[in-house]
Amino acid sequence: MSSRLAPPIRRALLLSSLPVYVLLYAPLVLIAIFSFAPAPGGQGASLHWYHALLQEPDVLAAFRRSLILALVSSMFGTSLGTLMGFGLSRFRTAKRSGFAAAIPSLIIYTPIIMPSLVFGIADLIFFNLLHKATGLFAAGLLTMGIAHVTFQAPYVALVVFARMSGLDPNLFEASHDLYANGWQSFFHLTVPVIRPAIIGGFLLAFTLSIDDFTISYFTAGPGSTTLPIYIYSAVARKGVAPDINALASLMIATVIGTGLLQYLFSRQKERRPLPRTGD
Amino acid sequence: MAAIINAPQSGSAERAERLARAWRLWVTAGPGLVWIVLFLVLPSLVLLAIGFFSIGDYGNPHLPLTLTPIREVAGYSILGWSPANITTIARSLLQAISAAGLTILLAYPVVFFIIAQPAALRPLLLLFVILPSWTNQVVRTYAWMELLGPGSTLSHLAQTLGLLPSHLGLMPGILAMQIGLTYNYLPYMVVPLYAAAEKLDWSLVEAGRDLYASGSRLFWSAVFPQTIPGLLSGIILVAIPAFGDYVVPTLLGGGKSMMIGALIAAQFLQTPNWPYGAALTIFMLIFTGAGLWVFRVMSKRLGSAEGSML
Repeated sequence: MSSRLAPPIRRALLLSSLPVYVLLYAPLVLIAIFSFAPAPGGQGASLHWYHALLQEPDVLAAFRRSLILALVSSMFGTSLGTLMGFGLSRFRTAKRSGFAAAIPSLIIYTPIIMPSLVFGIADLIFFNLLHKATGLFAAGLLTMGIAHVTFQAPYVALVVFARMSGLDPNLFEASHDLYANGWQSFFHLTVPVIRPAIIGGFLLAFTLSIDDFTISYFTAGPGSTTLPIYIYSAVARKGVAPDINALASLMIATVIGTGLLQYLFSRQKERRPLPRTGD
Repeated sequence: MAAIINAPQSGSAERAERLARAWRLWVTAGPGLVWIVLFLVLPSLVLLAIGFFSIGDYGNPHLPLTLTPIREVAGYSILGWSPANITTIARSLLQAISAAGLTILLAYPVVFFIIAQPAALRPLLLLFVILPSWTNQVVRTYAWMELLGPGSTLSHLAQTLGLLPSHLGLMPGILAMQIGLTYNYLPYMVVPLYAAAEKLDWSLVEAGRDLYASGSRLFWSAVFPQTIPGLLSGIILVAIPAFGDYVVPTLLGGGKSMMIGALIAAQFLQTPNWPYGAALTIFMLIFTGAGLWVFRVMSKRLGSAEGSML
């Protein structure tokens, strides 16, 4: 395909896309450079702001909360999502069409399509009213977790569904012929076969949770500040600050490092043969 | 004969089979679906309903039902008509559309640059476009505050060129907001466009070249039409979240360039006025829904399979 474009065009493409790559990374790199700013009164690059960060109990608490929220919500989101993706791919009768048959898909796409601001505010109000009525569901990590599961489950379902549709239906017939009941067949056949999708779905759910700001912000309570909410509040209050630069740099480095690792890992995996129909 | 006797039996067996399938569907997909209905569909309906309530003493919804909040969004209040809300909605639409336009301009060269590389290299180059978007949106937007703020190099440059009064920065303002939105959503344009470009049928391009078509003619007649499905997905993926974005307008936009997302949030977080905020949300969802509907109609007309993943 590369030979299909004439050299002058390829040169023009290179020249016009290089600035875009620079644009994508320049802000992140600059934040990292600024994070090594000298201590007040000092000179030259320093790790002062990273040290300052480690002595800030609020930051550490927010970090811990982000991790707990992401881990717990991903476990629930992955379980619900896996069952949804599996069930819809296995047991939905293909013949029926029309509105009734489309309802599950409509429901699954709602969290994906809904603007996160509306999502967050709808839950803010809902939990507020629920709390007034029952005394339960006080705004905090619990309400944030419930909201996170709500947007994680559909994405996991899509990943699992995609994997399921690549499988040979005869696999399930075979297990049926061997007198496996529904749950036996699910845990001994389906789960091992779709394990990569479940793991991928879990990682996706975890990333979505860690990344989310807007929905968390509106469902959070007084004692449930997570890392993104901490940064947002600090920045909205006092603007650009060197300790925030350090915190942001750590987050950028973690995400980019994880992304590259995941890429290398997934490329190794691709060579493993997968059971598929037709090929 | 046997077939005739068997026919009703196989009919009831089929019915039992169908019931068993329906039961299994509910046991597996049910919990997740109920969860989403309970914690998103129902709350959204409550939110929309609040848009038709009167405002209580603390900004909470109150009976009787009324159309006042809806009328307020359209600009009518006891003080007469004001265009402020219409301006905010129009500004949000314009920002979203121009963010989509800018991402298109940036995405085409990148996508075709990637396509022109050897196949082994392409996933990595695509990954480098996507990676920044995996960092938190607050962090990404914060990075631009650093770049565009009053004391920044870029602001000094703009001041020296006489584009900016000396005491101001490039941020906050409309330009900063536009940069922030474009930056945040660029990968959402590149990915669907890349998916479309990767499947490009190059024989059309070769046929055009054999007929001595010029470069731009080749692009517009043989390449561009094939990328339209990806382009449409990209526009939806960029424009809808950009329209309702909350982080970028509040951090980069400042008070003078309010967008609908920040306006809605203020009705729930600052001086509460739930019915008014809910009425604004109704308008926002109408625009979002209209955008999705146009997308569906257009992609159906193009016969593309987008939106039928599940």
